[in-house]
Amino acid sequence: MSSPAALLQSDASGSRLASRGDLTSFFMQLAADIGADSYMLVAIVHDQDRNDARIVSSNWIFDAIELIGKRLIANLALGPLTAAPGVRPRPLVAAHAPNAGALLSGEEARLLDVLGHAEIYSLRLNVGRQRLFVLFSAAEPGKIDLTALMKAQLKCCYALSSIPQLIAEASMQDPLSDRERECLFWVSEGKTTDEVALILGVSSNTVNSYITHAIQKFAASNRAMAIATAIRSGII
Amino acid sequence: MTHAQVRETAAALFDDQRNPFGAFSLGSETHHAVTIPDAVLRCRWIAVDINASGFGLFFVSPSLERARLVACFDSDYPSTAVATKFMSGASGEEMVRHSRISTTPRWWADDGMAGSRQAMENLAWSERTAPLAPGTNGIAFPVHAERGQCGLVVFLGSDITLSDDTLCEIHARCFALFAAVARIRPGETGRTRAISKRELECLKLTANGNTSEEIAKLLKLSVHTANQYLTQSTQKLNAVNRNQAVAKALRLGLIE
Repeated sequence: MSSPAALLQSDASGSRLASRGDLTSFFMQLAADIGADSYMLVAIVHDQDRNDARIVSSNWIFDAIELIGKRLIANLALGPLTAAPGVRPRPLVAAHAPNAGALLSGEEARLLDVLGHAEIYSLRLNVGRQRLFVLFSAAEPGKIDLTALMKAQLKCCYALSSIPQLIAEASMQDPLSDRERECLFWVSEGKTTDEVALILGVSSNTVNSYITHAIQKFAASNRAMAIATAIRSGII
Repeated sequence: MTHAQVRETAAALFDDQRNPFGAFSLGSETHHAVTIPDAVLRCRWIAVDINASGFGLFFVSPSLERARLVACFDSDYPSTAVATKFMSGASGEEMVRHSRISTTPRWWADDGMAGSRQAMENLAWSERTAPLAPGTNGIAFPVHAERGQCGLVVFLGSDITLSDDTLCEIHARCFALFAAVARIRPGETGRTRAISKRELECLKLTANGNTSEEIAKLLKLSVHTANQYLTQSTQKLNAVNRNQAVAKALRLGLIE
């Protein structure tokens, strides 16, 4: 990709995305099509017993992200307002913040409103095992076309499916090797070390060493915790 | 059932059950389909909307070892169509791998007629694949439900009509359908007996890496009681040991 101008003109509405730049122009175009003012693509990673939001791509202004904080973004993405594909989404309306439960404080709601996120939709994107979410927001409530939004959700999934490595890097969360993942999967199915050894056709010592490595990579204290971490981050 | 019959049956149903505006509105079907026959009916509605003559819904097994499609139902429900048997066999393997990493629909054309093939070739976000069943034309939509369940909704027919715009709508409806089916399915393995709050607390702490001794200390119980809670929850979840109990509880959404 050459200059930013060329980038924004490139037609990313169809077929494949080739670069990080295509991703940006794809989302800018999509947001405009559905009547949204801004978008944010977020990957949620499970880190030391808490969920962390990693922003992959966004046109929110810097201050909005700083002031609102990634915690709130993670809570919004994992909260009840997030819609899976095919489910009619409900928006987070800053003006109705008291109804949004513990999600927003009054001050945060005021900030969101001022910063042009009066209404935010949070959508789950199902691409492989990644925990990806996209937020579309508008400065005035009701500006976003719901039907177009639901179709856009699928387009986002398609677009992200075409760039798996890029997304994996951005949300880096699977540190395991194939063998380690396989071993951990069988242990999560209740198999003992000896049984896993039999299933995979390797020695018990090898299986134990794979599992120990997996435990270390997750900084877990035992097998159960390693399994929990792997399931939470969608690895097994 | 022939294509004409399918259309007739479904058209009759539309008049009663669809919303009065005629056109389907996205998201309106979310909470229906509590039984498999309901789900079959809903899938038939989608099939009629894209002019497909056959359909099928499959689960993609979570196991890394078995790359197979597990048929849930198809257009011949309660029996099984021939095409479904092909798909559950070896020809589904490549599609399973695809569904696990991508949401992009895939189509194929193998019946020697040009009609639906041209429509498919014009789709921006869809790619061609090897036929899932010989002598058929079709399109397969990868779908996901909560807790990592993965599946595939397949439509067959020589004159499937789809545009870029309807593709997303149809796929969204497939997602909603699969989510509903995935919610029924755990019932097949026998309903999990009610697990008490205390048992869940112990499981959650186990998932966070605590040993029985630590759990006992944290919850102010004796080690023996903590172990008993864990044994009970393991039995209720139909698991063979704690590791599997933790995995099952997480996958079922009993603990976060």
